Amino acid sequence: MKRREKEKPNHLVRLGMVIKYLLLALGAVFMIIPFLWTVTTSLSPDSVLISFDIIPKEITFENYVRAWNFPRVFDESVNFGTFFLNSLIVAFFTTCLGILVDSLAGFILARRNIPGKDLLFYLALMTLMIPFHVVAVPMFLFVRNLGWLNTFQGQIVPFIASGFGLFMFKQYFQSIPLDLEDSAKIDGCSLLRIYFSIMLPLAKPVIGTMLIFKAMWSWNLFLWPLLIINDIQFKTVQLALTMFRGLNVTQWGLLCAGITIATLPIIILYLLMQNMFEKGITMGAVKG
Amino acid sequence: MNESKSQRKKSSKLGKIGQTLECYTFLAPAYVVFILFIFIPVGRSVYLSFFEYSLLSMRAPFFVGFENYMEMLNDKVFWTAVKNTVVYVLGTVPFRIALSLLIAVLLDSGRLYFKNFFRTCYFLPVVTSMVACAIIWRLIFDAGPAGVANRFIGIFGGSPQGWLADSSLAMLSVIIMSIWKDLGYCMMIYLAGLQGISPELYEASSIDGATAWQNFWHVTLPMLKPTTFFIVTTQMITSFQVFTQTYVMTGGGPGYSTTTLINYLYELGFNEFRMGYASTVAFILFIGLLIFSATLRRVFQAEELY
Repeated sequence: MKRREKEKPNHLVRLGMVIKYLLLALGAVFMIIPFLWTVTTSLSPDSVLISFDIIPKEITFENYVRAWNFPRVFDESVNFGTFFLNSLIVAFFTTCLGILVDSLAGFILARRNIPGKDLLFYLALMTLMIPFHVVAVPMFLFVRNLGWLNTFQGQIVPFIASGFGLFMFKQYFQSIPLDLEDSAKIDGCSLLRIYFSIMLPLAKPVIGTMLIFKAMWSWNLFLWPLLIINDIQFKTVQLALTMFRGLNVTQWGLLCAGITIATLPIIILYLLMQNMFEKGITMGAVKG
Repeated sequence: MNESKSQRKKSSKLGKIGQTLECYTFLAPAYVVFILFIFIPVGRSVYLSFFEYSLLSMRAPFFVGFENYMEMLNDKVFWTAVKNTVVYVLGTVPFRIALSLLIAVLLDSGRLYFKNFFRTCYFLPVVTSMVACAIIWRLIFDAGPAGVANRFIGIFGGSPQGWLADSSLAMLSVIIMSIWKDLGYCMMIYLAGLQGISPELYEASSIDGATAWQNFWHVTLPMLKPTTFFIVTTQMITSFQVFTQTYVMTGGGPGYSTTTLINYLYELGFNEFRMGYASTVAFILFIGLLIFSATLRRVFQAEELY
């Protein structure tokens, strides 16, 4: 079927393209310039006045060494690696345990007819409507009574179950045909076996995206750790960054080095797994 | 014969109960956490809002009825926080969404070189932690002549501004940073939405001789309505809960010019340690959000009728 071609002068089309690229490029530059500038400042020695440039005139790594050891000012036994370790532990357990707990629940709600299953699902959805700040104060008091201030479990356990994860797993498990379980049932497989050997392996896509989503969310979490962690030995990377905040202009190199150390791992991870990241973070946002 | 039949019935009934119980144990971890760390705290929050509960004083928490709520109505700082939060939401959400739509539309057009490069650039701030970004922008907005922002406007002949130290500019600075941070996220969502629009619609309209602008206005925008509704709702609700950037960049200052509702909640509960009053503020914010999202849903449903 022939389309009636609208006549458009070639140079106007060209101009449109140029404008398009220009706008996109300007925006992209605006997006990444703060990062470039931070890295440049981190690589410049203190003797150089804070530069406006993207490319450093002199390169030195002394800021990184100083940033790594900076926490020692507060506590001899702590360096930047401690913070990474803490964040890693929290993120790892929150993610793994969270996926386990959410998928167990999602599996049952999706494929077993137990009394109250609709109510239970509705309850899980309700947790999504409750913003964190409403429970912040009572949760703090509760965790304090448990003696979980300044601990890992205090950071992990409250977030093990997520209504979002449960919802995702339930939806996914619901779409798996029933007969897949039949042969297992005939063989007399226990519920646990069915879950581990059949359901979990099938759920790889959801697990993958939930992994990224939960790991990133947990790594970047700030408010809750701020409330319950005071001890520098338990601080996560995000909390630790605020320690650098007070440095004045002459020590911006040090500050920028700290920021770079803190964010580089995530950025590298993102660049390596870009598709998974974008999918995980915007997951569930768009229907279909 | 009859005995074994009824025995079998009995054992299979027990077996069924056993199976059901097993199912509940699978559900238990998730729901124990939900109950202990979400549902009970919500109830306790409402309960606490009627008490004066100071972690600092030796006195046990005591019941004050609606006094906290009365105090809140007269609390100047509370209303400043409300105003600041509303200003923040209105300042960030519309602009962020509009800009992200623009970028998404530009990126979505047919052949485009560097498409992935652009997407990466726009999404990079999204994956970076808010704390890191806030500190970076705090440096950029430094009030001294060395600050990047001041140098930048210096190029265009502007004089150095106080930015975060200037109570009339501080919120604007936070707003700029916030738009920058999550623009990529909204862009991604719009990109997904744009890809759901079937190209035949555009073909049909260009047969009718539509210009690019008309295409956008009469095909793209209407087809994006569900996506837009989703983005507007979620962005607004999240934005009302802004905390980290104001905490890190300005600490709520200068004065109280960048103190948001959650900043104030934090101050009440964890600087002044007035758990009861903090719970009052928290609960009111919660109610506000519920009403707000219900209203948004109504607005959208009304639109749907057309």
